[in-house]
Amino acid sequence: MRTLTRKTALFTLALTLAATAGAQDTIKVGAITSVTGRFAEFGKMQLAGFKVGVAEVNKKGGVLGKKLELVIEDNASDVNKGLAAAERLVNAGVPLVLNEYSSSLVKAQAQYLARQKVPNLVITSSGDDITKPGSDYIFRLNQPASAYARVILDLFKANKFKSMAIIAGTGAFEKSVADAANSIAKEYGITVMEDQRYDKGLTDFRPVLNRIKAKNPDGILMVSYAEDSVALMRQAREVGVKPRLFAGGAAGFALPSFVKDSGAAAENVVTATAWIPQLRYAGTQKLNVDLKKALGGEDPSYHAAQAYAGVLTAAAAINKAGSTDREKVKAALGTVNIQTAFGPIQFKDYDGFQNQNPLEMVAQQVQNGAFVPVYPKSVVPRALTFERK
Amino acid sequence: MDQVAVTAFFQTLVQGLLTGGLYALIGTGLSLIFGVMRVINFAHGDFLAIGMFITLLLFKTFNIDPYLSLLVAAPLGFGLGYFIQRFVLSRLGDRLSEGSMLATLGLGLIISNSLLLGFGAQPQSINVPYAINTFKFAGVQVSVSLLIAGLGTVLAISALNLVLYRTELGRAIRATAQNPLGAELQGVKTSNIQAIVFGVGVSFAAIAGVLLMPLLYTFPTVGENYVTKAFIVTVLGGLGNLPGAIAGGLVLGVIESLGAFYVSNNYRDAYGLIAFLLVLLLRPEGLFGKTVKRV
Repeated sequence: MRTLTRKTALFTLALTLAATAGAQDTIKVGAITSVTGRFAEFGKMQLAGFKVGVAEVNKKGGVLGKKLELVIEDNASDVNKGLAAAERLVNAGVPLVLNEYSSSLVKAQAQYLARQKVPNLVITSSGDDITKPGSDYIFRLNQPASAYARVILDLFKANKFKSMAIIAGTGAFEKSVADAANSIAKEYGITVMEDQRYDKGLTDFRPVLNRIKAKNPDGILMVSYAEDSVALMRQAREVGVKPRLFAGGAAGFALPSFVKDSGAAAENVVTATAWIPQLRYAGTQKLNVDLKKALGGEDPSYHAAQAYAGVLTAAAAINKAGSTDREKVKAALGTVNIQTAFGPIQFKDYDGFQNQNPLEMVAQQVQNGAFVPVYPKSVVPRALTFERK
Repeated sequence: MDQVAVTAFFQTLVQGLLTGGLYALIGTGLSLIFGVMRVINFAHGDFLAIGMFITLLLFKTFNIDPYLSLLVAAPLGFGLGYFIQRFVLSRLGDRLSEGSMLATLGLGLIISNSLLLGFGAQPQSINVPYAINTFKFAGVQVSVSLLIAGLGTVLAISALNLVLYRTELGRAIRATAQNPLGAELQGVKTSNIQAIVFGVGVSFAAIAGVLLMPLLYTFPTVGENYVTKAFIVTVLGGLGNLPGAIAGGLVLGVIESLGAFYVSNNYRDAYGLIAFLLVLLLRPEGLFGKTVKRV
């Protein structure tokens, strides 16, 4: 028994030494994402983005002369486990946390981290209320939910749509986008004929779609998480509702698996998205290739590009701060101004948002079984195909 | 009412009936098990998930049509149910009435976590060429897959009825349900009958899972969505009452669809639960339950 204890003690000592030795060579930055659980599909994309980002930073000399290392904690797609993951990172002493994915989880994690005075950089989560009102410690590089609604409504407006219907989930992200769509529609003079919300777990959308079919709106905006997008489109085809355009508010609609799993049902569906390889930022093509390689040949979604940009931004902030002190990193994040393959990153206060990167959204449409960009002008858009004239 | 409104009503009604048919199929399995063994099967939704994942696996690896996987899922479900009753539930004895409840709850956890381990948590669906094919009759448009699911339900329940009321096995099952000791004294091997009944119940859940797969998506804890519905269905119809479970399923499907169509989708789950509460308050034996107390 005594020898066992001694061995354990020795082993622990060896581990501690190894850890300290490691710490001298690397600078550790925290990251929370959904490695497991129902958001694992997005987590997979982000892990690939992290990998590509870290490799690029280290290839270019790392941070403060040391190698960058990400300490990735899994929130298991669960809000309580997410808070536990955040707590582990706070205790690990990381200077900064990259914060991910579902708005319902990220908001709780972000508020906890802000209370602990740990700067955190939100990279994919888009619920408006994360940075509106925000906190001195919360920064976001991706577009807020209202931008998702705006790009779709811009398309509706440009094509003289007079009416629309909304189907949305009750999660934080879905609610944000749907509420924003309502107020933007008012601003643009588009009548919202139906605004139907549904709780998680609903699988039969037919009655709602029948209802919408009877009113025959010009556009339908659907805001759902991954699992519902395929079922929604299948049932829309089944019920025979025919607006001029079906639009999805990113998330499940923007995943490559949406096109694959829905097949013909996905044709002509427009979706908002945060990033596509056709964007004309320097290095976008190369990033797409690198991400695809990291994903073992699978096409990356915007979540991967955002994770990549998050790593670059974190490295830039720490380099600028010249230290891993949390307060100094926080101050440096506020002055970051870099160009990435995801887009320009600079945090600003506007429209009630705090530390928010003002970035334009993209719209893409499924044409002949593949996503093509249709908005804005900077992506050299293809012509929209309408369901009906 | 104008033409559009009439068509919309019938379309909603038909879709409600077909969705309700699937609820009925799930509820029948649950009700049958309760009727014969007084066991509330909390793993019922997880057995349904097994049916869905078998379909997913066969489709993704061998490109086998989801409906053909019925040939695998139904017998496999039966075997699994038989095995569980024979070697797990029957060993619990009569000492604790809560024992079987806890055991099925535990089995459900084992199943959903095994699926999690094997398939991952992300939702998955299959894309069959006929996924969005529809069938139009007098202006009412219905999905072919949903129609097949409805027909499958009718077939499965008719077959069960045939077995229960036209065969010697059915007589033994009914005898076991009415009075296990009496049946045993008449030479019915009740332990075997109970295992068969559990097998049939699980098989029904698996069949429902297969029929749902071309329409929807699956993930390891998908059963939770359906097990609540199954409980509402069986309570609506009266626990252990098979025709009641069928009627309960159809009633629930129609209430949900019409409620979501005419009132609002926001309270969709509430419609079924309100009906559930009303039945519990006013007719605790179920809409179609007999008022006679069991001896």
